Parts: sequence; structure tokens; C-alpha cells
Amino acid sequence: MRSPGFWFAAPVIAFLTLAFALPIGIVAWTSLMPPRTFDLSLPPTIANYTAAITEGYGRPLMWSVIGATFTTLVTMLLAWPTAVILHRHAGRWAIVVAILIALPVFISESVRLFGLSVFLMPRGGILAGSLQAVFGLQIGSIQNSWPGALLGMVYIHFPFMLFPLILGISLIPKDRIEAARDLGANRWQVLCEVELPLAAPGLAIGALLTFVLCLGANAEAAILGGRAVTVITAAIEQRFGYAQDWPAGSALTVMVIAITAAIVLPVLARLDFDRLTKR
Amino acid sequence: MTRLVMTLWVGALVTLLYVPIVSVVLASLANTRYMRFPHKDWTTSAYAEAIASHTTWQIHIISLNIALSVSVLAVILGTLGAMAFARYDWRGQGWFRRILVLPIFFPQPVLGLALLLSFTAAGIPPSWKTAVIAHLVWIVPIVTLVVSIRLFGYDVAQEEAASDLGATRWQVFKEVTLPQLAPGIVSGGLFAFLLSWANLPLSAFTSGADTPLPVWLFTRTATNYSPLVPAVSVIGTVVSAGIVLLAIAALALIRRRT
Repeated sequence: MRSPGFWFAAPVIAFLTLAFALPIGIVAWTSLMPPRTFDLSLPPTIANYTAAITEGYGRPLMWSVIGATFTTLVTMLLAWPTAVILHRHAGRWAIVVAILIALPVFISESVRLFGLSVFLMPRGGILAGSLQAVFGLQIGSIQNSWPGALLGMVYIHFPFMLFPLILGISLIPKDRIEAARDLGANRWQVLCEVELPLAAPGLAIGALLTFVLCLGANAEAAILGGRAVTVITAAIEQRFGYAQDWPAGSALTVMVIAITAAIVLPVLARLDFDRLTKR
Repeated sequence: MTRLVMTLWVGALVTLLYVPIVSVVLASLANTRYMRFPHKDWTTSAYAEAIASHTTWQIHIISLNIALSVSVLAVILGTLGAMAFARYDWRGQGWFRRILVLPIFFPQPVLGLALLLSFTAAGIPPSWKTAVIAHLVWIVPIVTLVVSIRLFGYDVAQEEAASDLGATRWQVFKEVTLPQLAPGIVSGGLFAFLLSWANLPLSAFTSGADTPLPVWLFTRTATNYSPLVPAVSVIGTVVSAGIVLLAIAALALIRRRT
């Protein structure tokens, strides 16, 4: 007889097999069908992949990878000092600030991105309009540009970096830092040789989460970027919808999934869940 | 770092996080074809128009259907999953934990598109029900983790005591394990509701002709500005907060009675 753990896991495993693994399999299979067909029983071909590379779909993929890398780095730089302050110095304020930062996550992305867009809107926007009315200043706007979309991505994904990072920083024993200082290490050395390696699990989770979520991010480019650049999700959507070319859309989807898997799987395989939870 | 610098840093960050939310509220207090801030006429007439509009009600009801179904199903699956994730040690647990978190580390629009293709290939027309399935793929793992937090540091001895005293497996689960898990299950359910209510990327591709609130707002924002958008944004957010507060109040009342 199997252990109770297996039976409790079974419904979840069954659900994820049907609604997560199977769809990925179907997309992978569709990507091997000849271009512009709707039949799934044709002989497989790699025509869609060669077309994806030669027909310039490398570009949207590149924009998404650049955007995801940029957002991961910027949120990391913003979140590290914040996490250090909240964990070590904020005392009983830490929980209040943490809740204040977490709350917006439960407000729809549509609402928050719309808010950012009315704030940044040229001329009549909240920022431009107020500056004009109060100081008579006229300013430009980064709305409808790639920097606008990047700002939106940093804004939306900051909490996803911060909370794993707080977890990571809580894994650093305080006496380790003091010991390093006593032995003559400067601030930079303490950061690189003590804090970063010890906080690595939290850093890895935060970076993975942010990168992967940004890789598929579409709403930021649509609302704040004004489609100044086409991100990969928008390109896939075009193939599926407007172009009615499912195999081509599937091939692009598989490429995104492959990038995700190449980054997520090695990190996840090395992550020790017991160490993260049983402190 | 001095105390002042730290306070300023955190204060500035939190303020910046709320700037867009305050902006939505400010934008909702006018009813003009084009946004011109500061408004000439500050008015709440956009709210009145939004409430009178049939669409507003329709998108709320669709969002409510999705979020309630997701909460119920995610709590059931997530509680079972948490038992396997954290209560028992079993062969294969390491794999189960890694597989379970995979959907969280997956680009949501890509998941939505993959599901849309699969539903269509299977001949299932996309509707709010298919959106429920899409949300569950992402939310069940989250609820499992939330409930699991209660199970770390859980004392197995109570369960053993109950079964030594002659309780059946089901009785042990119902009388000992579930009450212990209750706070985790409640938070898991609330998380599920709020995350489903707010979700855009999964709904955008899987809800078909049934447009939930975030998708309606997104399409309107991406195409053209309308004074109804900020008003409906505020209404939608207040409604979800209200439902959650009501649920918390109701649960507190039930707890006091028993």
C-alpha cells in the first residue's frame, strides 16, 4: 500500500497533469504541424521553428528577454536595501510596511497600470497637469515608449522580488556578519562574501519569479509602452488570433517555455525546501 | 545607514507604490471625454453612470462567478495538496514539492495561450468556466503553500493520540487535523479569491466571450480613454475588498458562536 502522502498528492497531481502538463504537450505537438494548418494528425515538421528564426520573431523574444533581465536587476537593487531595512532595523514597523507593500498585489494589474498611465499621461495627466497648474512647468512623458513599459514592469514586479528577498536575508545569521567585521572585512566584502551567498536561496526565488513573470508580461507594453515594441506574448497572440497560424504561434510559445524551463529547472532542482521552511 | 535615510527610503518607496492607485481615484472624480488634470468640474457622476450601466454589473457577476468557484476548488485541492506537501514524509515528496511550484514559476500569458489552444483543440468553447480552470493551475499551488505554512511545526502526537483512543482515519482528519488547519485554509481561500478577482493574464486568453472585470478594464485602457474606466476600477477594487472583509467578519462571528 502507498503512504497517505501519495494519496493526498494524487488529486493535485492529476489536476496539474491535465491542466498544466497536457496543454504544454498539446502546444509542443501543434508547433510541429505544417504552418497554417488546424489538423493535429499531419506528419511533424520543424518548419515553424526555422520560420520563427528567419522571419524576425527573434526580435520580440529579444525585447522580452531584455525587459525581464532589466526588471530583475532593477527590482533587485531596489529590494535589497529595503529587505535589509525591514528585516534588521524596522522593528515592529516591519509588519506594517510589509502589509502596505503587499496590498497592491491584490489590486488588479489592469487597475494599477491604468493608474500609472493616467499619472504619466502627457499634458492632462496627473503629474504633467499638476506641474503645469502649480509651477507652470511643461514636461514630456515616457508614456507610449519602451522606458514607460519598463517602469510599469518594475512597478508591478517589485513585491515579487522583495518578499523572497526578505526570506533570504532572514537566513543570514547576525553573528556571521559581526564575525566578518571583527576579522577586518569591509562593507563590500561582507556583502559579497557573507550576505549574498547566505541569502542566495531567497535571491534565487525572487529573481526567478520576477524574470519569468516579466518574460510573459504583455499588459505593461500594451498600456504604458503603447506597443512601441512588440513583446513575445503580443507576437504569439497575433499568430494565434489575427494571423490564424496556430502552429507558428505554438512554436513561439514552445521557445518561451524552453527559456523558462532552462532557467527555472536547474535552480528548483537545487533548492532545499526544508531549509527554507524549517528555520 | 542612518535612521533618517532608512525611513525616507522606505517611505518614498511605499508612497511611489500608491501613486498609481491614488491616480485612479483622482481620475475617477471627473466625467469628461478627455483626461485634463486638474479637473475643472470635480464630480462623482462617472460613478453614477458606471452603476447605471448594465456592463458594470455583468463584468462584476462574471468575476464573482470565477473567483468564488476558484476559491472553493482551490481550497479543496490545496488542503489535500498541503497534507502531501508538509504533513507526511513520503517517497516522492521531493518531486511533488518541485512539480507543485512549477506553475508559479511560469509566464501566465503563455499558460493562458497554451490552455486556450488546448481547449479549442478539445472542442471546448472558452467561457468563464475555462477561465476557472486556468486560474486554478496557478492558484492551487499558492493555496497549497499557504496551508502548508500551518503544517510546519504541526504536532503529529495529537493525531496519534486520537487514533489510539479509537478514532477512525476520517474522524482524525475531521476532528483533529482540519481545525488545526482552519486558519491556513481561511487565508488560502481569501488569497484565492483576491488573486482570481484581480487576475488579468490568464483570464485575457481563456474567458472567451465572458469578460471579467480586469479584462474589460485592460481592453478599454489599451484602446481608448473613457471616464468610466477609473470609476469601474475603483468600484471593482472596493467590491473585492468588501467581500473579503464580509467573509472575515462572518467567520469571526461563526467562531464566537461555536
